[in-house]
Amino acid sequence: MTDQTTPEIELSEAQASEFWTGKRKQRFWRSIQAILIVLAAFVMLVPIIWIFLASFKSHVEVYQLRLFFTPTLENYGTVFEEPYNLGAKLYNSTIVAFVTVAFAIPIATMAAYSFSRFRLKFETTILVVILATQFVPAVVIILPFFIMFRDLGLLDTRIGLIMVNLAIVMPFAIWMIKGFIDGIPMDTEEAAMVDGSSRLQVIKNIVLPMAAPGLVTASIFCFILAWNEFLFALFLTNRDAVTLPIGLALFRGEEGDLWNLLSAAGIIIMAPMFVLALAIRKYFVQGMTMGAVR
Amino acid sequence: MSHIPPMPTMRDRTLKYLLVLPAVLVVFATAVWPLIESLRFSFYQGRTDRGDFPQNWLGFENYTWAFLYEPPFWNSVYVTGLYTVVTVVLTTAFALGLAMLLAPGGKLRSGVQTLLILPFAMSPALIGVSFRFMFNPEFGLFDAFFGVVFPPLADVSWLANPDLAFAVIVMADVWGWIPFLTLVLIGGLASVPQDTIEAAQVDGASGWRVFKDVTLPQLLPVLAVVIILKAIFSLKTFDQVFMLTNGGPGTATQTLSHYIYITSTRYGQVGYAASVAWLMVIPMMVLTYFYAKFVFKKDDGA
Amino acid sequence: MAEIRLKNLTKRWGDFIGVDDQSLDIHDEEFLVLLGPSGCGKTTTMRMIAGLEDPTAGEIWIGDRMVNDDLPKDRDVAMVFQNYGLYPHMTIYDNIAYPLKVRGTPKADIKPRVERAAEQVELTEFLHRKPKALSGGQRQRVALARAIVRTPKVFLMDEPLSNLDAKLRVTMRAELKHLSRALQITTVYVTHDQIEAMTLADRVAVMRHGIIQQLGTPDDIYNDPANMFVAGFIGSPAMNLINGSVQSGMFITTGGTKLVGIGGPDRESAILGVRADDMSVHDAGEGDIDVTIYAFENTGESTLLTVQWGKQRVIARGDRHLRKEQDDVVGIKLNPDHLYLFDPESGDRIRMGGA
Ligand SMILES: Nc1ncnc2c1ncn2[C@@H]1O[C@H](COP(=O)(O)OP(=O)(O)O)[C@@H](O)[C@H]1O
Ligand SMILES: [Mg+2]
Repeated sequence: MTDQTTPEIELSEAQASEFWTGKRKQRFWRSIQAILIVLAAFVMLVPIIWIFLASFKSHVEVYQLRLFFTPTLENYGTVFEEPYNLGAKLYNSTIVAFVTVAFAIPIATMAAYSFSRFRLKFETTILVVILATQFVPAVVIILPFFIMFRDLGLLDTRIGLIMVNLAIVMPFAIWMIKGFIDGIPMDTEEAAMVDGSSRLQVIKNIVLPMAAPGLVTASIFCFILAWNEFLFALFLTNRDAVTLPIGLALFRGEEGDLWNLLSAAGIIIMAPMFVLALAIRKYFVQGMTMGAVR
Repeated sequence: MSHIPPMPTMRDRTLKYLLVLPAVLVVFATAVWPLIESLRFSFYQGRTDRGDFPQNWLGFENYTWAFLYEPPFWNSVYVTGLYTVVTVVLTTAFALGLAMLLAPGGKLRSGVQTLLILPFAMSPALIGVSFRFMFNPEFGLFDAFFGVVFPPLADVSWLANPDLAFAVIVMADVWGWIPFLTLVLIGGLASVPQDTIEAAQVDGASGWRVFKDVTLPQLLPVLAVVIILKAIFSLKTFDQVFMLTNGGPGTATQTLSHYIYITSTRYGQVGYAASVAWLMVIPMMVLTYFYAKFVFKKDDGA
Repeated sequence: MAEIRLKNLTKRWGDFIGVDDQSLDIHDEEFLVLLGPSGCGKTTTMRMIAGLEDPTAGEIWIGDRMVNDDLPKDRDVAMVFQNYGLYPHMTIYDNIAYPLKVRGTPKADIKPRVERAAEQVELTEFLHRKPKALSGGQRQRVALARAIVRTPKVFLMDEPLSNLDAKLRVTMRAELKHLSRALQITTVYVTHDQIEAMTLADRVAVMRHGIIQQLGTPDDIYNDPANMFVAGFIGSPAMNLINGSVQSGMFITTGGTKLVGIGGPDRESAILGVRADDMSVHDAGEGDIDVTIYAFENTGESTLLTVQWGKQRVIARGDRHLRKEQDDVVGIKLNPDHLYLFDPESGDRIRMGGA
């Protein structure tokens, strides 16, 4: 095309006189991007840092907005004393989360293996129902349990809490572990069966060791879910079985919220979860969406 | 499904059902049964201050009561609907922007990606607490921030004003969900073939047109899943609301979950609460249907 | 239409050097092939010309414009990607039309031009389909059509045939050659396949470790390699490289004492290069040297003899009717006009007296 020569000359003259062209503009945008990224990271961290700092302030300093203050560990002591007694809540949360995971993971692993390796009748239906239960509002599930536990005397017990927590944890565990087992190639298993192993031996000797990282990931993920659970505990507990998130309400005193203590309790709740979440960060997103997004 | 199951032996044929049985029982007992039981409750008068439970058969009376005589019900429907729309739009938009910023990788970007996991590991209740703290009119972070930047906003009682309180619970929710959605969308962007983007650049498309014509259309399936997922969780919102505003001021931030909580625990109206809860299940089922469709369509394609 | 000039072009990632201070002039309407083994920096060079990669140092000129600071969209190039880079969500028509659309071509112009491009690559019946519904060869043609639908200053093609099966590759090679001669647009073509390079190129630039080893016509590259790397890389089977020394005008292999007259001054060590085709097979005693057959292969159009020469094995090409057995002894005669001598240290060519 000969008609392209003319605009070409116009273009180069225009570009020569203009500073913000092409790659230079792109490079400028890249610096803007870097600034935006740092800003976003800052915004993401502010609430966490804010609580973190407040947890080291004395109850006088927490009401004064000072950037520089004498840090104190006092709050971390106070929250474990009467009347707050956070230790008991920490104990409840730990037991409830542990036992929930200890029940859920083996049961989920068995089912996940079967879903992954066999064709079952109504397989898709069962899997969809399991997927769907994850989306049922917690308030719907809790009402019958509330009535049942009231009649059975299970209100405000850790056992009751563990039972309902299984409702939250199971669908995640099954789908997540199924995803991991799907990723284990079948030929190792088949080789073992040709070599004379029974199905159960194959599961024990081949699948479980190979799926171990996935099982650890799923366990941690479910532990975090159970640890952070709020609504069930709010309905079902009031004194003996209170967990950490509900325990936060203790720090609303007569004269308002005790922010320094709330913050210390907050750090105690979230710090272990941060460590766990970072340990499995590669699979975190995958766990939430259960393979829907790749 | 990509793999072909091996020839099942006789034992496998029973074993495979034995393996799923405990899980199916647990899911049935902890999710399916309560769902059905709630539905049953919703047709009864079910007050917790009586000895027996439930009491009289009411038919659809609980439902008509909610529809006809309960302004707080409609209020919470309105709050929940608005809340869902606003949080879905804002979270998705911010997350998409942030994902575009972070997707190219490199030290700074992957460092920030790691940081994004932290807010997501934080319990929603705790997010509520930290935002209540930050928006405290006397010694909160925003008080201090606006004291310097824009004094007229400094001493605003954020949580005492209905609109501002709503804005604050939206902010807390968006803050808590952006990281997760961002990470999912980064995954989605990574699956858009780089050479299609480069082809568009060479073909003459500007940055914006590359995004609009090439990146976005290929990201659409992931975006759809993300939006459905976020909508489901927005509809259910309870924890932050309880900790941040407890539905107030008045009922300005009362979501459906919170309304059900109040009617069942404070007023002991479990039968009525169950009927409202079931009204909530219906939109949830619709969203779940679409979500499942996407999940299984992906599976077949692979 | 334009010439491309690369001036001291360098690409580094940290300490790793992808392209090392290379200068290259590509003439207007020339078909230049960048040839080299995988990882030698061909794609990087091409991507810098397209603007998809920023050079660490050096200049890129297209026509009389230094384009370093131009975005890909402003460089007026068209590119065919190795995996085609087709837009999966658009029909073939929309794929081909896209470069016109984004450049604001009037709608009325787009349709005839897309149809003409589709016709040139014989895709007319598939315009309404999506890329997923096409075969590999058809997709490749879509990528080609998308490049030729405009008349850019430069075509860039990155191993466009490498994802096709062997048979289709030969067909498409001929089509590409036909098309490039018809269009007469400056083209840079990247490949690691020497046959593609030899058949398509006006000139070939052979690359290794980010450095252009030799720039020349296919004839030059084949018949007058600049160094041992080029000699060994071009030709199939690869040129035989034999260790030895030069003493009073004769090449003597290490270990063996077989002699070939080559002239030139004495050398402690040298490497003799000779192609399989430049060795002829005779009965024992009738060639320059007698060798034992290690393996005899019949490829149909010719025969290949791997023979033991001193401590090394070399490959000679024989007549298609030749029939020999393993361990037979044959005589080999070398064509004195096509012997190459290399320095074993540097790999550089040692020019012989006569040549
Ligand atoms: N983005 C990058 N970062 C680091 N090294 C790269 C990058 N891109 C390419 N390389 C390296 O540069 C070398 C040349 O790559 P390339 O130009 O793609 O080779 P080829 O000649 O096969 O096309 C390779 O060793 C490759 O690993
Ligand atoms: Mg390459």
